[in-house]
Amino acid sequence: MALVKANNLKIAYNSQYIIKDSNFSIEEGDFVFLTGISGSGKTSLIKSFYGEVRPEGELYIGPFNMAKIKRGSLAKLRKRLGIVFQDYKLIPEWNILRNVMLPLFIMGYDKNESEKKAMELLKKVKLSHKLDKFPAELSGGEQQRAAIARAIIHKPAMILADEPISGLDEYSASLVMDLFIMANKMGITVLIASHSLPQEFNVQYKHLHIEKGRVYELS
Amino acid sequence: MNYLKSHITLILALISILLSIFLFRVFNQILELYEKSIVNNYSIVVVSSSKIESLNMKEISSIEEIDIQKQIKSLQKKYKNIDFNKITLPYFYKLKLNSLPTPKELNRLKEKLKQEPYIKRVLTHSNTQTKIYNLLMLLKIITKTFMVITGVLGFLLIIKQLEVWKLSHSERMYIMELFGAPFWLKGAALFKIAFVDSFIAIISTMGIIYLITNSALYQNIISELNINFQIDYFKEFMILFVVSFTISLISSILVVMSKK
Repeated sequence: MALVKANNLKIAYNSQYIIKDSNFSIEEGDFVFLTGISGSGKTSLIKSFYGEVRPEGELYIGPFNMAKIKRGSLAKLRKRLGIVFQDYKLIPEWNILRNVMLPLFIMGYDKNESEKKAMELLKKVKLSHKLDKFPAELSGGEQQRAAIARAIIHKPAMILADEPISGLDEYSASLVMDLFIMANKMGITVLIASHSLPQEFNVQYKHLHIEKGRVYELS
Repeated sequence: MNYLKSHITLILALISILLSIFLFRVFNQILELYEKSIVNNYSIVVVSSSKIESLNMKEISSIEEIDIQKQIKSLQKKYKNIDFNKITLPYFYKLKLNSLPTPKELNRLKEKLKQEPYIKRVLTHSNTQTKIYNLLMLLKIITKTFMVITGVLGFLLIIKQLEVWKLSHSERMYIMELFGAPFWLKGAALFKIAFVDSFIAIISTMGIIYLITNSALYQNIISELNINFQIDYFKEFMILFVVSFTISLISSILVVMSKK
């Protein structure tokens, strides 16, 4: 079943269409790489998935058309997404444990249950020894792992990751990619925006590529 | 120390606004009572050739005949060769007013009274009355100006605090919004700060009010004014409570609503 469906999708940036007349779909449980050169519109496309940028045409994420989505529905949709940013976007004044618990707070989970889930997950991302540290006290790779833990703790329908491994060393990058694979195995659809495809990747994936403003589905 | 730094601006702003509101209300009440006591003690004296039962003038609240028998007796003792009983004396009346008139109003009233054929003389003691009136007006203007300035300064401090809040909370609220946080959750930290600061401001203001109203200077002023003025502390607390929480809540809502 299609989780994402785009028909004649257009996205404008500074009054110019950087994405135009694009049609593509993403099925539930897919692992998707979105590639394209810098400035091709990868970030804008990802932002349109979580309503930070309003597209034209049709872009369905589940039942929501992002071109017409209302504020209330947007909050509902965002609760079902897990977003991973290139700059991590962890809350600086909160410790790692609390940062990871954020989606559960929003969904109204009980504090003890949230804490238990967050601690389990932090163990899986190898950060159980840094629960009470603040983001600024962690390396880039560690912050990204915490950000991924935050993105998957509430078992979202889809994870959107914008350049999640750029700037990370090889070891941290492979740990981060393993976490995405783990999330995908949990049934979560994963969309990763990146300059290029990874050299070695042993999981079946779908490839979307942006070129000259159009999104192509490559086999 | 950090806590104090991040809270002191709002607390001080709230205290200055609350104090200005309280002082404004208290001064107004005191001035009103004082005005009433002046009106009660003030009267116009008219000399009439005939008895006056009533005067159809809206400014006048009551007419009271002045008993001059005492004066006549003392005059009789002094001037034994004059028989005061044989002299037809005019009637003397004290006119009480409804409110403290301006010097212009007082002149107008005097002219109006003089137009009555039986009224021979009108004594308004206008010099003393004008002085009292001007002094009262000056007091009113000074207190109102002072309160407005304090209030405006308080609001400016709050605007400054809103900018600080926006800077220090916008990132967290933006991230929370990206994860679908509802309005109240995004602003929870700010609402908490606003609540705590309001509470501290109210308690501090009530403390200051208690100190002021129990000071010897304040008690002296009230007794000198010869008015019966009591502060209803519970009522004042409730008014300040509503004002303080409304200001803090509106300020924090404005910050949560503003985009990064």
